[in-house]
Amino acid sequence: MVLEIRGLRVGFDVPSGRLPAVAGVDLTLRRGETLALVGESGSGKSALAMSLVGLNRDPRTHISGEVTFGGRNLAEASERELRSVRGKDIAVVFQDALAALNPLHRVGAQVTEMMRAHRRMPYGTAMDRAVELLGEVGIANPRASARALPHQLSGGMRQRVMIAMGLANDPAVLIADEPTTALDVTIQAQVLSVLRRASADHGTAVLLITHDLGVVAEVADRVAVMYAGRIVEQGSRDEVLFNPQHPYTIGLLGSVPPIDGPVADRLPAIPGSPLTGVDRPGGCAFAGRCAFAEDACTEQPELRHRHGEPGHLDACVLPDSVRRQARGAGPDPQPERPERPEQLEQLEQAAGTERDLVRNEKGRS
Amino acid sequence: MSTLPLPRLRRPHRPRSERADTLWAMFRRLLGIPVVLFALATLVFIAMRLLPGSPTASLAGGGTNLTAAEIARNQARAGEALGLDQPLLTQYGTYLDNLVHLRFGESFFGSNSVLGLLGDALPGTIELTLAAMTIAVLLGVVTGVIAALRKGTWIDTATRAVATVSFSLPWFALGVIAIVVFGVWLRWLPVLGRLPSSLDYRPTTNFVVIDAMLQNRPELIGPWIQHLILPATTLALSMAGYITRIVRASVLDVLGDDFVRTARMKGLGESAVIRRHVLRNSWLPIVTVLGLQFGSLLGGSVITETVFSYGGVGRLLVQGVLQRDYPVVQGAALAIALLFVLVNYAVDVLYMILDPRIRKG
Repeated sequence: MVLEIRGLRVGFDVPSGRLPAVAGVDLTLRRGETLALVGESGSGKSALAMSLVGLNRDPRTHISGEVTFGGRNLAEASERELRSVRGKDIAVVFQDALAALNPLHRVGAQVTEMMRAHRRMPYGTAMDRAVELLGEVGIANPRASARALPHQLSGGMRQRVMIAMGLANDPAVLIADEPTTALDVTIQAQVLSVLRRASADHGTAVLLITHDLGVVAEVADRVAVMYAGRIVEQGSRDEVLFNPQHPYTIGLLGSVPPIDGPVADRLPAIPGSPLTGVDRPGGCAFAGRCAFAEDACTEQPELRHRHGEPGHLDACVLPDSVRRQARGAGPDPQPERPERPEQLEQLEQAAGTERDLVRNEKGRS
Repeated sequence: MSTLPLPRLRRPHRPRSERADTLWAMFRRLLGIPVVLFALATLVFIAMRLLPGSPTASLAGGGTNLTAAEIARNQARAGEALGLDQPLLTQYGTYLDNLVHLRFGESFFGSNSVLGLLGDALPGTIELTLAAMTIAVLLGVVTGVIAALRKGTWIDTATRAVATVSFSLPWFALGVIAIVVFGVWLRWLPVLGRLPSSLDYRPTTNFVVIDAMLQNRPELIGPWIQHLILPATTLALSMAGYITRIVRASVLDVLGDDFVRTARMKGLGESAVIRRHVLRNSWLPIVTVLGLQFGSLLGGSVITETVFSYGGVGRLLVQGVLQRDYPVVQGAALAIALLFVLVNYAVDVLYMILDPRIRKG
């Protein structure tokens, strides 16, 4: 176990109160594994990742709980302590490499800076190592590319530079925050394989933050699904993808359009939107959008093993029979919906007809 | 360690061609300078002749006991002698012809060559503006960075308040206040001229620092600095206030950039983050503003030189305008314009050095 998170909470002060971005998360990261943290925008996955190394520390951000790394609690560590961990033991690969790299420094220098921030070493030695790393992540002609400025490289190359930088000090943990979001699909695949190979070669544990289930399927060993600041389901990749237990995970998986199936008229989606406000009702955060919600859902469900293989945890109190029903129903099981306001129904229908009309007109022209 | 064969640079990186691009871009910017100067020369030529009054009136001896007819005759003779009786277009043609051949003419009063007058006056102005610029940049950058890093605290509020007041004050007001307070009341600093008249100074280049070295007279430096402090600070204050605000905004802007978070992720200390990442990127908008502000600094030096009786191009210009001394005004205006254009050219070059992204530009 490299990193252990217990009861982590992250709150942001906003004008209307304190926003609970992360509302009590337990998570462990093991040596060399790739753990995918999946969730939609606003689910708190990035807030969680950034608070591990205190990159979102701010007078308006409140981080509490335990982040145990190397016998220290990083959640409460001083800025000086954190600084010695950042980049050396825990490195981050950011999403948009063009923005995340300094536009005025040559990429080789940016990689060496990572090393020289923690070790006294001559610039030449560091540069040699940087060139080696750039080659390792698949940058052709690394010696010349090290002299390039970020804008002179392509998006895929820049993301590789970020990864090379992340690996520069052989960190125990690499946090990859949506590393492929800004890239084309083909480049995504290349970058992911670089990431996977690098973590295998260096024995680095990777915390991969993503909303892309395709990415999860490709590189993750384990998956944790996050919803409204909490983990709702967690387990090995195959268990979560092929035997999902939580209705949210089921809906999420049902929303992925099949690559070879018939193209639906409208992409299936989970109805409603996640809780984003300051005041959140108690109980399961997903209950409001869940077609199968019962009275029992008004209590906060515990994340524990209920069904499936050992180690497969979920936070849903619904019985197995309902879960099975949910798996068969797809992401938006309309008929099951018990109390659905008529007005909403009508509005949705009206919107539907209008959209169809527009679509037909486009088809004709 | 394995290497993937796939990737290729979208555009191969060639340092040599990049350098050529840079030189070409710098050269192209040079081409614009004569155009600007020509436009300015024309403008000044027209403006001077649009002003009421003429140089011949004072040359003809107004105020002496001559009859009106004699004055008119004198005036006509003087006009003839100076070529002012020619049609305007002919005068303009002659002026341009002289300009192209770098003949700047002589003052209507006393026949001093304009080039000689400028040679005496320019060094003073350059000293004054450079000193003011240095003070303004130091003051503005330091306070701006502090205000940005202490955003929202009383330090920030106070700095911004002082900055706003200082750049709202007109130069002549500041100059007069400085003279009264530091020169008259406190008697800390001299308030008139570039050097004390008691000092025996025969200029070689007219740059006091250079002359002090050439003539091996280090004792010139002290009084020179004393004389420079008040006018330079007067000139610098309003610019410093402006720079403070620009620097603060620019630093705050860069602080929010993603690469600053990357720098922190590396485990760099806060001072390294600020120095290496924030400041370097903040310089770009600041440098642009400096170039443009240099223009108003030159404008301010005209006023400041007059207030402090400081021998420079600004004072030459004011005297020239008052006497309708066309050649002197035209020469002085051109010199100031050239100074401005050259400083902005230097800013462009500096910009290219600071931001490699626009070298292709």
